Amino acid sequence: MAEMRTDEAAFGVAISGRTSIPSGENSVWADVSPLLEAACEDLQEGELIHGDNFNLFAAMSALEIMDPKMDSGIVCTYYSLEEAIENGAAPVPISVDKTTDIRCTIDIMDHLLACEATWHKGHSLAQTVYSCLYLLRPERTLSHALLHAYCKVIHVTCKAVLSVVSDARTHEEEDLFTMAYGLPLGGGDRDERCLSMLNAVEETISRQLRACKASSSKRRLLEDIEPLQSNPDLEEGYCRALLCRLRFRKHFYHLLMSMKRPQGRGLELARKHIASCILELDGCLKSSEFLRASAHGMCEKNIQDTTASGCQAIGFDASLNCRLSAPTPPRSIKILSWVKAIEYFLKLLRDLDIVCSYSLVPSLEAALHFVIKFQKSQPDLVARSHLQLLLVQDGKLYGQIPIFAVITGAAGLPEVTNDHDIQKNEFVVQLGQLVINLLKILCTNAAWQRRKLGKMLQDWRVTYVQLELAFKNEFGEGSKPSNNELRFKIFQQILMWVEEQTYWIASRFLILGFELELYSVHDYYMVYWYIYAILIKLAEKTHLRIVMNNSTAKKKAKKKRDSFKDAGRDYQISAAVLFLQSQIYLAEGLSMMFAALRNEHIILAPQGPFNTEHEIFIQQFELLQKACLPDHVSYMSFKESTKLVNFSTLAMCDYFKEAQRIAKDVKSSFANDPDKMAELRRVEQVAEHNNIALNVICRVGAIDPSLKVTFEFSHHPFFATAIVKRS
Amino acid sequence: MAMEPGFPKQEPSDFIFNHPSEDGEGAMETNTKEGEVAKVEFEASEIEYVSYGGEHHLPLVMNLVDQELSEPYSIFTYRYFVYLWPQLSFLAFHKGKCVGTVVCKMGEHRNTFRGYIAMLVVIKPYRGKGIATELVTRSIKVMMESGCEEVTLEAEVTNKGALALYGRLGFIRAKRLYHYYLNGVDAFRLKLLFPRPELHPSLPVMADVDDNHSSHHGPSEE
Ligand SMILES: CC(C)(COP(=O)(O)OP(=O)(O)OC[C@H]1O[C@@H](n2cnc3c(N)ncnc32)[C@H](O)[C@@H]1OP(=O)(O)O)[C@@H](O)C(=O)NCCC(=O)NCCS
Ligand SMILES: CC(C)(COP(=O)(O)OP(=O)(O)OC[C@H]1O[C@@H](n2cnc3c(N)ncnc32)[C@H](O)[C@@H]1OP(=O)(O)O)[C@@H](O)C(=O)NCCC(=O)NCCS
Repeated sequence: MAEMRTDEAAFGVAISGRTSIPSGENSVWADVSPLLEAACEDLQEGELIHGDNFNLFAAMSALEIMDPKMDSGIVCTYYSLEEAIENGAAPVPISVDKTTDIRCTIDIMDHLLACEATWHKGHSLAQTVYSCLYLLRPERTLSHALLHAYCKVIHVTCKAVLSVVSDARTHEEEDLFTMAYGLPLGGGDRDERCLSMLNAVEETISRQLRACKASSSKRRLLEDIEPLQSNPDLEEGYCRALLCRLRFRKHFYHLLMSMKRPQGRGLELARKHIASCILELDGCLKSSEFLRASAHGMCEKNIQDTTASGCQAIGFDASLNCRLSAPTPPRSIKILSWVKAIEYFLKLLRDLDIVCSYSLVPSLEAALHFVIKFQKSQPDLVARSHLQLLLVQDGKLYGQIPIFAVITGAAGLPEVTNDHDIQKNEFVVQLGQLVINLLKILCTNAAWQRRKLGKMLQDWRVTYVQLELAFKNEFGEGSKPSNNELRFKIFQQILMWVEEQTYWIASRFLILGFELELYSVHDYYMVYWYIYAILIKLAEKTHLRIVMNNSTAKKKAKKKRDSFKDAGRDYQISAAVLFLQSQIYLAEGLSMMFAALRNEHIILAPQGPFNTEHEIFIQQFELLQKACLPDHVSYMSFKESTKLVNFSTLAMCDYFKEAQRIAKDVKSSFANDPDKMAELRRVEQVAEHNNIALNVICRVGAIDPSLKVTFEFSHHPFFATAIVKRS
Repeated sequence: MAMEPGFPKQEPSDFIFNHPSEDGEGAMETNTKEGEVAKVEFEASEIEYVSYGGEHHLPLVMNLVDQELSEPYSIFTYRYFVYLWPQLSFLAFHKGKCVGTVVCKMGEHRNTFRGYIAMLVVIKPYRGKGIATELVTRSIKVMMESGCEEVTLEAEVTNKGALALYGRLGFIRAKRLYHYYLNGVDAFRLKLLFPRPELHPSLPVMADVDDNHSSHHGPSEE
């Protein structure tokens, strides 16, 4: 930062003499030219400074002054905001002609929306929204009520969005988003004032709209209302175009405020604002025909299409901020088109609506499933941040349920355990932190999520081992103690659940690799094998937990003499495991099919010059192996179980048929769970297709060398479907 | 120091090499564009590969990279690489003309010694003839001989050509870096792990260090 300021001030002083940062108590301005010249003399061409502090970072940060590719200073049209304003880059009013003024104001609004969407998509605030000169000098627009109100609401909206994202922050690689050095965010005013200004202009314009629509007889009564602008033919169109833009801003702001309310109390209200926002955006889209027509031939063409009218908006200069806002490269960024921006906002609103419609089911499992499902639509940063803040507030689930209660709930313990002082155990506390982190990580973008989940596996594993040790220390290896049965039980069930949850994370980690396209076809062979190994463990732990919960439940039921519910419960339980079972068969079938294809030379294994399949295996599963997930699984065991597979052995195993059969059978248990139903249907489809493909390969594969087998993800996001063709 | 760092372009760790090529948008498009480029006919044997030989090579390297990659690198960046690891940089010449180059580094990174491929470029008329493969192969060999345990680099997810090239050499996509490039495109971090002798008992090298090493790596069944 220090260099930046020096640099800027030097330019200011030398060139315009306008900017002058006075010398401070401990600093004075000095002319560095002689020093620089001397330094240049000192260094011969081809020499490089070697110094501990001159590393690659320093080398890359070095600028070549006056090179337009690097020196952000020279690409600017103006040296300072003042100069830009003096040169009339952002006039107030925009035009003395009222009609032109309104037309240009709408362009500014539209371009701002495009900038805002571009910001949300991950560019810096300074180079997007704050490229608007009007926003940078809020006091200048005071005389222009419409523009002023609009700028104010943009200020407070940006501030609100920024705070949600930075509060939710898990250090995703989306840092640019929250950088807002030196920008006049919020404009200093109280937020409510901004709303009253917005309401006032909205009120005026709706009266103007009424006035221009009224019949001539009534018009006399309304005579005192001054029209929006001077061309009566355009009055209605401009009023409408402005109203939907203003109302969108109002509802969007209210939406953000409602979602901010603790413990999801504002969600219902938020949904109403979402519906209004969507309605107003639709109005904006509809206004574009009128705006295009009325602006025709009146303005400079907008090449990036960031406005509805197709005109270039006045009062924007992204280059001015380059120097203000380290670290932004001199490169100008591409602002989304206005239509794309509206599409972005519509998606954001739909995603937020999903968040708001969540009923805050008090169970970890429900919350986890909700996040995973939500992520399927690939929501952007702002929507994800909102979800995260809803899930985790004040270290509690939904800001309501203490994390220990979340854990005991997940582990299937009765509610009486919620206050047990075992929660003070340091490893239980640590576990609580892991659960919170897990929820947060699941809300991040898939790329970041996978890396963090991978690292987290180790933490879950270590916590498990520590808990287990604490458990053994307390109770010894022996059987259940009579005196502290409850404590024993809590320990035991939490331990079991931790293992299950760890395998769940591991499976998510592996599966995300498909979405991120990290695996090549040649890796599938080992990836499915590993997924199979993890899912087996997951099913085993799930089964154990359910059996144990059940025995607890049974005891209770006996006490209540109510064994009727029990039967239903039992059934439900095996369904959860059977569900996994169908996926297990599918993963196993796929890995065995790949093994056979390779062993029978239908797919040729690549052989790089530098390493072998063994190294690929180590790299792919390094994080799982480090956390011993599962124990005793290694490259050797992988090779052991795949090296002898061929089509004749495969034909007898019927993995795909089993998967299909189980999926079909278990469906009836999930009649009320549309997500699970959909997954079972997909599993069935993949299994069926692969079974057919396998039969074809088995019949003709060995004798027909022209057989080509390729893989698609047409039926399932991560279980591949084999396609067999003869070339 | 004479050189004041300006603004950091990204975190120190995110090198912005292997960057979107100027014709950008990955190989699919490059391919169609290459159709317009007049291909040069030549025999593989006519290409001469040279290790970086000094300041006279620097303009050739800079010129090629400037042409093909969009990222502006200062001369210091180039010098940083070629002065510290001249043995890892190679140039390809055809009849005296420089047609391709690779620039790399190596060093300690979180307790491993690893190589890093920073820039790789072959000019359009010479593409598709194995020049890039030969260039990186030479660098990687030197890295391996110098004791590197692995090699890494980043490539745009849309750069099909580069991904295929590295895939054939045994690189895996270790992770995806979200919006890594400032144009908003994601990158893959590619990694190539060299075999460790103790995992390949058939290799005679350094059999005596076996026991020290195998202990801190995942469970392995005999
Ligand atoms: C540097 C940082 C971007 C990645 O470091 P990390 O957390 O150790 O995560 P990773 O190990 O996945 O990333 C480091 C690796 O990615 C590389 N990397 C560099 N920049 C990267 C980027 N923008 N995105 C992803 N990876 C990056 C590193 O060179 C390193 O390579 P390696 O894994 O091959 O050794 C990041 O974590 C950081 O420092 N963030 C600030 C602090 C923080 O996030 N704390 C955790 C709070 S949840
Ligand atoms: C990537 C680049 C260096 C490749 O140079 P090259 O000399 O054509 O590469 P090679 O001839 O050695 O290619 C080797 C293999 O890579 C793959 N490959 C290379 N270019 C490809 C393309 N355009 N499409 C698909 N595959 C491609 C092929 O598998 C090829 O093998 P094959 O020809 O036997 O099928 C070159 O295209 C380039 O300079 N691109 C611009 C800069 C750049 O993207 N650098 C890499 C940044 S990570």
